Amino acid sequence: MFEKDVFPLTARLAWLRLRGSRLAVAAAAALPVFLLALGLKESPSAALRVFLLFFPYLFLLASQDMSASEVYGGGLENVLFLDGRFRSYLWQKNLVLAAVGGTYACAVFLGLAAWGLGRGAFEPASVLQLGLGLLAGAYYIAAAGALGFVLRAGSNVVVLLLAQAAALIGLILSTTFRTGFVDHLAAGRFPDLGSRLLFAGLAAVFPNLIVARRLFRGGVVVLAGLVLALLIQRACLRRLELRK
Amino acid sequence: MLRVDGLRKSYGPVRALRGVGFSLERGRITALLGENGAGKTTTLRIVLGFLAPDAGTIERAAGRVGYVPDQPAFFPWLRGRAILDLTRRSAGAGREEWEARVRDLSAALRFEAALLGRPPRTYSAGNAKKFAILQSLALEPDLLVADEPFATLDPPSVKRARDLIVAARDRGAAVLLSSHMLAEMTRMSDDFIVLRRGEVAARSGLTEFLERARPASAGEVEAAFLGLLQG
Repeated sequence: MFEKDVFPLTARLAWLRLRGSRLAVAAAAALPVFLLALGLKESPSAALRVFLLFFPYLFLLASQDMSASEVYGGGLENVLFLDGRFRSYLWQKNLVLAAVGGTYACAVFLGLAAWGLGRGAFEPASVLQLGLGLLAGAYYIAAAGALGFVLRAGSNVVVLLLAQAAALIGLILSTTFRTGFVDHLAAGRFPDLGSRLLFAGLAAVFPNLIVARRLFRGGVVVLAGLVLALLIQRACLRRLELRK
Repeated sequence: MLRVDGLRKSYGPVRALRGVGFSLERGRITALLGENGAGKTTTLRIVLGFLAPDAGTIERAAGRVGYVPDQPAFFPWLRGRAILDLTRRSAGAGREEWEARVRDLSAALRFEAALLGRPPRTYSAGNAKKFAILQSLALEPDLLVADEPFATLDPPSVKRARDLIVAARDRGAAVLLSSHMLAEMTRMSDDFIVLRRGEVAARSGLTEFLERARPASAGEVEAAFLGLLQG
């Protein structure tokens, strides 16, 4: 499904789409300004912590409408996508969005890291957090893409955000009668099967959590989710036809 | 240029194609005729790779392919010029040569160059169709597939589009057209394939068809065709 000669088209189209999205451009422009203001008011390390928690959302933003609007909007029924090339395009778009998001995130991270180093307040462990965040971002793109095949345009991202809100509310409510899981989460240790399963579910819905808490074992759950989402996408793409 | 054999396709319980087969030669225009639901669009979309057949084979010689859809739709965030540039890059064509082709085709279709600075979703239906024709013909295709290429065009534009398609045929392209505009089809087509309920009901050259039907007037040509379509 990965046709090399389609890749330049995919890269250019995905880039043009991101560049043309006011929301994505505004978010990408506003984030460094916000981080700079936060760094000046608090500290560079505080800005870095906030960045590491929230930057995977940039990937989610980039993946809005990444398949449904194109499949059902008719834009793929074009000479550019003959002979099943639309499948390669949709498949490769995961890679392009991840690369663009990753490049942007690394650039902002480098800026914050340099600032922190200059003040002697840079923690090397944040490089690992960046890696986990990139993994979470890639997972968001794959999951939003997979959801895009079964949901209407735009709702792929909304569904993920609603699931996160539900998970957080559930977590907050659960602390009123049972603090066990929250304690395990704070400690980063999950002694029994129930808490491990709960953690896996939470990491799948809210992968930013593993970045914030440096739960590197949670990275395995997110990696598994990424692979699963890609497999679902691949299966959907193999069956995909452009019908009226 | 193209050989299609035993195409079958069902949409759930509906059998859209029941073993369609035909071949196209370079330098000839083939009209695909049939009533609504006869299987014309399904056939075209399978030939182009947008749909997968349940059974059957498609053999196509190497070369560029142009496609004019019935209802052209383009990515809404792209302007006309960007779409043409992507098409040029995909075809590996040189910029100057491509721009000259676009200029010539725009002039021939009376497609205003200023429209290229806007997204095609803002075009009228007629201009969107002209843009799709322009995009496909700029490729100088070896195979041109067009689904209702004249629908939504005004009469002068129909003539211009017809002249361009005939010119593509004269350059050696194999052309497969699906249309309900019988007058245009008889005027420009070399061969006819009639689909009825997902099967090839008749296949002939224009001369052969006219000899068999022996129509004495344009009205009789239409009547003869309608008789063929309806069986």
